[in-house]
Amino acid sequence: MGRKILLIEDDRETASYLAKGLGQEGHSVEQATNGQDGLFRATDGTFDLIILDRMLPVLDGVSVLKALRAARIDTPVLILSALASVGDRIEGLECGSDDYLVKPFSFAELLARVNALLRRREARVDPAEHRLTVGDLEIDPLSRSVKRGGRKLDLKPREYLLLEYFARNEGRVVTRTMLLEQVWDYHFDPGTNVIDVHVSRLRRKLDEGYEKPLLHTVRGAGYMLAA
Amino acid sequence: MPTTLRIALLAGLLALLSNLAVIGFIYLRTHDEAVATVHRQVIEQGKVLADVYRSGGAGALNGAIDDTMTYADPQTVIALVSPDRREIKGNLETVRGAVLGPPEGYRTALVRLRGQTTPREAALAVHRLPNRQWLISGRIAGEGLAIRDTLERSLLIALVVAGLLGLLCGVLTARYVGRRISDFARVANRISPRDLSQRVPVSRAGDAFDRLAAQINAMLDRISALMEELRLLTDSLAHDLRSPVSRLRSAAHAAAESSDPAEQEELLGSVIRQADALMRILTAVLEISRSEALTGRKQFNWFDVGELAAELAEMYDPLADERGASLEYERPARPVPLFGHRQLLAQAVSNLVENAIRYGSAGGEIRVRVHPGERQIRVEVGDRGPGIPAERRDEARRRFGRLDSSRSDEGAGLGLALAEAIAHLHEGELWLTDNRPGLLTILELPVHAEARAA
Repeated sequence: MGRKILLIEDDRETASYLAKGLGQEGHSVEQATNGQDGLFRATDGTFDLIILDRMLPVLDGVSVLKALRAARIDTPVLILSALASVGDRIEGLECGSDDYLVKPFSFAELLARVNALLRRREARVDPAEHRLTVGDLEIDPLSRSVKRGGRKLDLKPREYLLLEYFARNEGRVVTRTMLLEQVWDYHFDPGTNVIDVHVSRLRRKLDEGYEKPLLHTVRGAGYMLAA
Repeated sequence: MPTTLRIALLAGLLALLSNLAVIGFIYLRTHDEAVATVHRQVIEQGKVLADVYRSGGAGALNGAIDDTMTYADPQTVIALVSPDRREIKGNLETVRGAVLGPPEGYRTALVRLRGQTTPREAALAVHRLPNRQWLISGRIAGEGLAIRDTLERSLLIALVVAGLLGLLCGVLTARYVGRRISDFARVANRISPRDLSQRVPVSRAGDAFDRLAAQINAMLDRISALMEELRLLTDSLAHDLRSPVSRLRSAAHAAAESSDPAEQEELLGSVIRQADALMRILTAVLEISRSEALTGRKQFNWFDVGELAAELAEMYDPLADERGASLEYERPARPVPLFGHRQLLAQAVSNLVENAIRYGSAGGEIRVRVHPGERQIRVEVGDRGPGIPAERRDEARRRFGRLDSSRSDEGAGLGLALAEAIAHLHEGELWLTDNRPGLLTILELPVHAEARAA
């Protein structure tokens, strides 16, 4: 289902590349090329998501975001930035954004995050759903118990968090950096395949002995939990 | 106005003022005392004479006046004046001013004694006797005034001398200061990016200038070390980026040439991986310089180092396991609070653990430990791998100081440099030592760092 996305980005090449890609995913994209114009459009409040470059002419991204939040507009905001240090990322997140993506990024990474944010907005609208189910997998977030095909799975705490995050993003690609940020809350880039090792351990417990695998690898992007 | 002159004048002025204060004090005290003494004596004398008249009548007073004129010192003033203001008896030649007349009592006036040529200031007691005659007695204040005069003259001379000495002192000080400062100025002037070798001369006096010179020289040493490091870094960055960039270029080129879609995809995947690796290098370099510049202290917070290490040990345990090593961590019984940058310290510790896994897995056991201490917290990561010989440990810490240059994909040789920079951000240190066998890396973090950060 297509959504309305506001893209505030001054670099025309990046902007048209992103607009094209998001358009192909079925979203309608409105563009602004400076902070002031972006803020003006964003205050309409009719967007499902705002993609905001951090360094913008006229009014910088952080100021736009602060102005938005001050005006009580809680549209999810994804910040794009060339400022890559851990301190910059934390600062970007602390000023009220919902996600922070460092340039350069792959389109797959951006799309995964966009989908996660749109999905989070949906979930916010409908909080009734306690139990998560993916195919024959059942997750009870209250008791943190996991069953597949009626059989209880014995997961370590971190494995459970990983699985719950996958389940909350069912059918959507989840990238390694998203996992590191959301499941471990680390904002640095490990030089090793440590995340993959955790995912493959979870996969062994989840899919081994079952005919139909649930946890899929998406080449060049990350992973996806889907029935 | 040149500084030298200004300092000289200031010193002269200060000398003058301080001397003026001292001299003024002396003057006031002596003056007051002299006047008070004369005052007392004069009143006493006047009373005595008036009493003589009261008890013995005019005859006794005449006798007393004669006695006084005969025996008293020549400074004494005494006179008996008739109601029509003619002198009946005494040594007073002329009186200026309204000496006679009410009120009776003490006053000062200019008088001339008989046989003297100039009128002098005198302290007088004037009494009206019952027979309407005036009795004037007193003293020429000459001795008091004489003392005062000499004092005034010598004080004035002292003042002038003090002023001149102060001026001289100021000139000398100013010239000395000027000379020392011009040493600094000369060095500062000659320091340039091409020549950092100039140093301020340090005299043997060990004075404030020498301490300043020593500090400036130490600063110049640090700057030149930093410049050298920066130069090395730029060189090695340029050098180390060449190979990933050239690999990236050749992969992109091959992908463009290839007609097989599968091969093309594979090659393009490699292009992306190389680009990511490049970005990682740049981010790490950025992170290092940020930490060395001590930015990021605003994001300091309290957290439990024991918990952080537990989290990281749990995170890396499967990776170590996969490489055939076991990762051991024993969490301290109590929380180990530290005021610091949790994210960056997580990165530092994870770099150490990744290094241990990467190079020390063959040894089997990797041990992570947190030692809570009164003054510092130590996070240790030890492996049983081949270790690093003592003479190469500094090299290993350097940016791009990858010891095994044959490795091409994993690690850009920035892990330890970054961990060290993060330690410095926390005013701590990174140590590399022998784990007998293997490598033991220690992140030493002072507990007091928050005081200066806040």
